[in-house]
Amino acid sequence: MKTTLKKIFPVIFVTVVVFMAVALLSWTNSITRDKIEFQEEQQIQSMLGEMFPDMSRYAFEDDIYTIYSDEAQLGYAFLALGKGYGGSINILVGLENETTIKGISIISQTETPGLGARISASSFVGEFAGLSISDVALRQDGGQIDAITGATISSGAVVDAVKATAVERVKSLQEKE
Amino acid sequence: MKTTSFWKEFTKGIVISNPLFVLVLGLCPALAVSTSVDNALGMSIGVTFVLLGSNIIISAIRKIIPNMVRIPIFIVIIATFVTIVNLVFHAYVPSLYESLGIYLPLIVVNCIILGRAEAFASKNPLLHSIADALGISIGFMLALLIISFLRETLGTGSLSIFGARLFTLPILGEHPMAIFVLPPGAFLLMGLLLALLRRLGVIKSE
Repeated sequence: MKTTLKKIFPVIFVTVVVFMAVALLSWTNSITRDKIEFQEEQQIQSMLGEMFPDMSRYAFEDDIYTIYSDEAQLGYAFLALGKGYGGSINILVGLENETTIKGISIISQTETPGLGARISASSFVGEFAGLSISDVALRQDGGQIDAITGATISSGAVVDAVKATAVERVKSLQEKE
Repeated sequence: MKTTSFWKEFTKGIVISNPLFVLVLGLCPALAVSTSVDNALGMSIGVTFVLLGSNIIISAIRKIIPNMVRIPIFIVIIATFVTIVNLVFHAYVPSLYESLGIYLPLIVVNCIILGRAEAFASKNPLLHSIADALGISIGFMLALLIISFLRETLGTGSLSIFGARLFTLPILGEHPMAIFVLPPGAFLLMGLLLALLRRLGVIKSE
């Protein structure tokens, strides 16, 4: 009896420690969650402002941001989620109209510093500005985007996410009309 | 007796066994985030919190941790504190969270922290472990501040803290030596600093 207890004690110990860690983390998460969401919204708002300099307000409905200036509708924006080399890549995509990309910004990513992390650089995200959605593909696949040297997976993840989500969102925009 | 050894455990981390300059541990996160003084401060605060938390918990339960699972236990405890730091930074200092990026969660694998857990906290009483954590953290912060100060001033020609520009150097301000904010500059500077500190006798080789 005593020896079995001795044998399983480490298992019990690890389980208890992990449970306590989970409890502590979910408590921290519950405190910080609202604040983090608020920060992310602020970030998206400032990114939209950079993408559409004339923006005065925006509306968010069915996963699509519709951007307005004082008198006209400027375009749309939506979030895209890419599967990168080191985790998910959150991308904000702006559309000038239903066929043309206005620009993209990387909201967050955890790619390798120095390699994949360069997807955030303006030299890469700048390539998307003004492209037609059908041209969003790596050059090796017949598109207009140059992959970052040494970071084909990260580049491809961004391209795939932008294209797939754009096609989907445009479809839902057209259905609404 | 007790106060002297508390003091001894506290001071040893600052110079005699400075984590960066003497133990040469945790170089990867240290060199990666020492591009600016702001980042260095943020990283040091994160490391201090995690090290203090993990040293306290590990020292408190050191007598009941089964030896064969001690490393997984240490890692779970460290990872918990790192995740807390991550969430708190994300919620309250988003700009710092952005600029530290991947290196913030990577505190988990910072060998200073696991090293102190294994070599010190798991063998010493609570008070001493607190002293050890504080001393090592201050040593880490000092070292990081020295490196980041040099890298920022040489590499950008100016120095700003919390977004406020403190000064701009006359010639370097226009022609900064950008290599110092890049990774090769970090290695160069680290090597030169180690050599200098040794020459001056501030740190002694074993």
